[in-house]
Amino acid sequence: MDCIITIDLGTGAVKVSGFDLKGGIIGFTKGSYPTFHTKPDYSEQDPEQIFITMLYVLKNFLNEKIHPKKYKVVSICFSAAMHSVMTTDKNGIPVGNAIVWSDNRAKKESHDLIHSSFGKILYNATGTPIHPMSPLNKITWIKNNDKERFKQAKKFLSIKSYIIQQLTGEYVMDFSIASATGLLNIHTWEWEGDALKHAGITADKLPSLVPVFYSSAKLRKEYQSSLGLPAKVKIIAGSSDGCLATLGGGIWGEGKATITIEDSGAVRVMGKKVLKDEKQRFFNYLLTENNYVSGGPTNNGGAVFEWFAKQFGDFKRAFDLEGCMEHLIDDASKVPVGSAGLLFLPYLQGERAPIWNANAKGVYFGLNIKHEQQHFVRATIEGILYAIYSIGKTLEEHRTINSLCVNGRFASFPFWAQMIADIFNKPVNTKSDSDSVAVGAFLLSATEIGIYKNLDEAAKTVELPETYLPTRHHHNVYMKHYAIFERLSWKLFDEFEAIANLQQKQS
Amino acid sequence: MNHFIFKKGCIELLPFPHIVEFGSKKNTNIQFNSLKASATDLLRLYYVLDGKFEWIIDEQHFILYPGDLAIILPGQLLGGEKDLLDIGTVSWLFIQLKELALTGKLIPGKWSSLSDIESRAIGKLLILNNKPVLSKLKEAGVLFHQIQQELFNQEIGYTTRTNQVIDELLILLARQLTRQNDSRRDFPQTFMKLENTLRENLSHPWTVEEMAALVGLGTTAFSERVKSYTGFSPLNYVINIRISEALKLLKQKDVNVTDIALEIGFYSSQHFATTFKKLTGYTPSEFRKKNIPNK
Repeated sequence: MDCIITIDLGTGAVKVSGFDLKGGIIGFTKGSYPTFHTKPDYSEQDPEQIFITMLYVLKNFLNEKIHPKKYKVVSICFSAAMHSVMTTDKNGIPVGNAIVWSDNRAKKESHDLIHSSFGKILYNATGTPIHPMSPLNKITWIKNNDKERFKQAKKFLSIKSYIIQQLTGEYVMDFSIASATGLLNIHTWEWEGDALKHAGITADKLPSLVPVFYSSAKLRKEYQSSLGLPAKVKIIAGSSDGCLATLGGGIWGEGKATITIEDSGAVRVMGKKVLKDEKQRFFNYLLTENNYVSGGPTNNGGAVFEWFAKQFGDFKRAFDLEGCMEHLIDDASKVPVGSAGLLFLPYLQGERAPIWNANAKGVYFGLNIKHEQQHFVRATIEGILYAIYSIGKTLEEHRTINSLCVNGRFASFPFWAQMIADIFNKPVNTKSDSDSVAVGAFLLSATEIGIYKNLDEAAKTVELPETYLPTRHHHNVYMKHYAIFERLSWKLFDEFEAIANLQQKQS
Repeated sequence: MNHFIFKKGCIELLPFPHIVEFGSKKNTNIQFNSLKASATDLLRLYYVLDGKFEWIIDEQHFILYPGDLAIILPGQLLGGEKDLLDIGTVSWLFIQLKELALTGKLIPGKWSSLSDIESRAIGKLLILNNKPVLSKLKEAGVLFHQIQQELFNQEIGYTTRTNQVIDELLILLARQLTRQNDSRRDFPQTFMKLENTLRENLSHPWTVEEMAALVGLGTTAFSERVKSYTGFSPLNYVINIRISEALKLLKQKDVNVTDIALEIGFYSSQHFATTFKKLTGYTPSEFRKKNIPNK
């Protein structure tokens, strides 16, 4: 029987999944790799370790789940986290580690650009918000601060480009990943000359641009034999985790938005056109021709709840962090909606959309003598979801949203999914046991080999059996609190800056 | 506790060549230069019974209160903040270990009944520890008192008992060190620290027991946690790091394959080549040739 393998090169781990051609999952497995923070603001990963981990996990998966059952692998489709940058020298050997999305070293480069009219032109051309995450700013940082590396760099790659190059010998970058670099013109589908010039590079330093369906690169012989794969297995360039989570989340079509909450989070819509925002608050990434994924990211998703659990959770009751978080959610459910007036701004790691304020901090507000520990738990979850709502609300200035799909590790907790439905006052659909990135990559591969006519048809096959309906009464309570939440988020601008400066001096 | 000092050579310590000094002192007045910074080749343990001591250990400042235990490793400096011994009561035990290498290899000596694996784990913990003061460790005070009782009373079996209690003291402080890691609350962070240690000592023949001891978990719990966090068994995770280091080293021209194999912890170049080829389909030399065309 034929099967499709998907490989997601995520932020902290590689995840390999296998699907039969009807989309049934055969199995999945993962392997993690570390992120190094050698200096404040630095987040790096070792491309060689990612490659070996991927190879190791893939080989084990094939040997345990695929080969013994005589599945024939038709294609392997890649997805990856966006915004990574690494450099290789004239022999194709990595120079230094890969700089990943969460790295903030290019603060100054970003700051300089965002306050210029040129920055606005670049945002309109590339669809990527001007931010330290953007490879545009990261490469500019290397040019300004690491001249030796810049000089040695024959290629500037994304992690996924490097992994595919190691497997096939070809330097390629799909349009989705490219559209998140700040270097691609999303209207003309070519590298944006002005952006390249700003970063100090030429197009020959970048991989070749290819569609997400690109499958002409051939797996090297050595890997064919070590992995036990046929010569004609297709290596599909694939897309980014954000775009594929949207495809696999099944929100295709008008009136729908998808909410993903992992460590960070995002609200996304699909559209046939670029979403133009005067205030530069949203990203626009490309999936295929006329399919744009637009939306806003938050830094403060599940990572904030994990922080809370680590600091204040009761580890006598629970064996580990997961168990501890479940207990906390239980506690939160015992507190009335609105946490008796305790509000939480979740900006522990600064914030991206919609306030785009790197200095923003966490705040508990409205504390009185009657508040107990479980009020803090509920307020924390409510605060994280208010931040998500603030992105959705801003998106609604441009698009109508009638229903939501939620996915990701945190959004699929029933308590969270219900709260999202109540805060947004919209029905929420979810499938808690599925990995929407892997499903998206499967749908892409299946379309590529002709099982579906196009992605529209593919996306319609996604089923989301669990539905949460909003409770009007709860929504009203949440909105009264949200109004204060939103005002505070803007009002504290000066104080956020002052405390950020103070903290910077102390660190 | 009374004021007493047993030093190497005295009759009480004759059956214990590894105990260099054991004593307790109530310091009632301040004398200049009574505690100037010095290092020895001994493992020195100090337990505070009373008062407040301001010490500099291995270039870090500490204030010790009753119930605190200070661990000074061979070669580390200990001195008073003002070169003097503050007012208060303190007990101490100096032990000559047969070996405590910077790699963490610990051989206490024949007197100890700790197994090789246990000693190695304790040694690793001592070497990697950067907090020489364990606070509120009352159990250590009890053990100090037991040693004193055994040496004073010399009842039947006291040599065996004394050595057992010293073993117990080593176990106590090792366990306390692992608890500080608090691995249940924040396994990812604990694992990150372990990963750094592994990378820094990649040529060491790591065992699961040693790694588990470093993070303060039993081997079964440790293996489960690592598997669920990384997707790999602990040993496979180490192999994973070894091979990714190998990729980097093979791409540098000037290191030969056998040296690489040993440096990253394979016991022979054959062992390395087999593991490498199984995973990548290339032998290390083929891989190098492919990546460095000029060679």
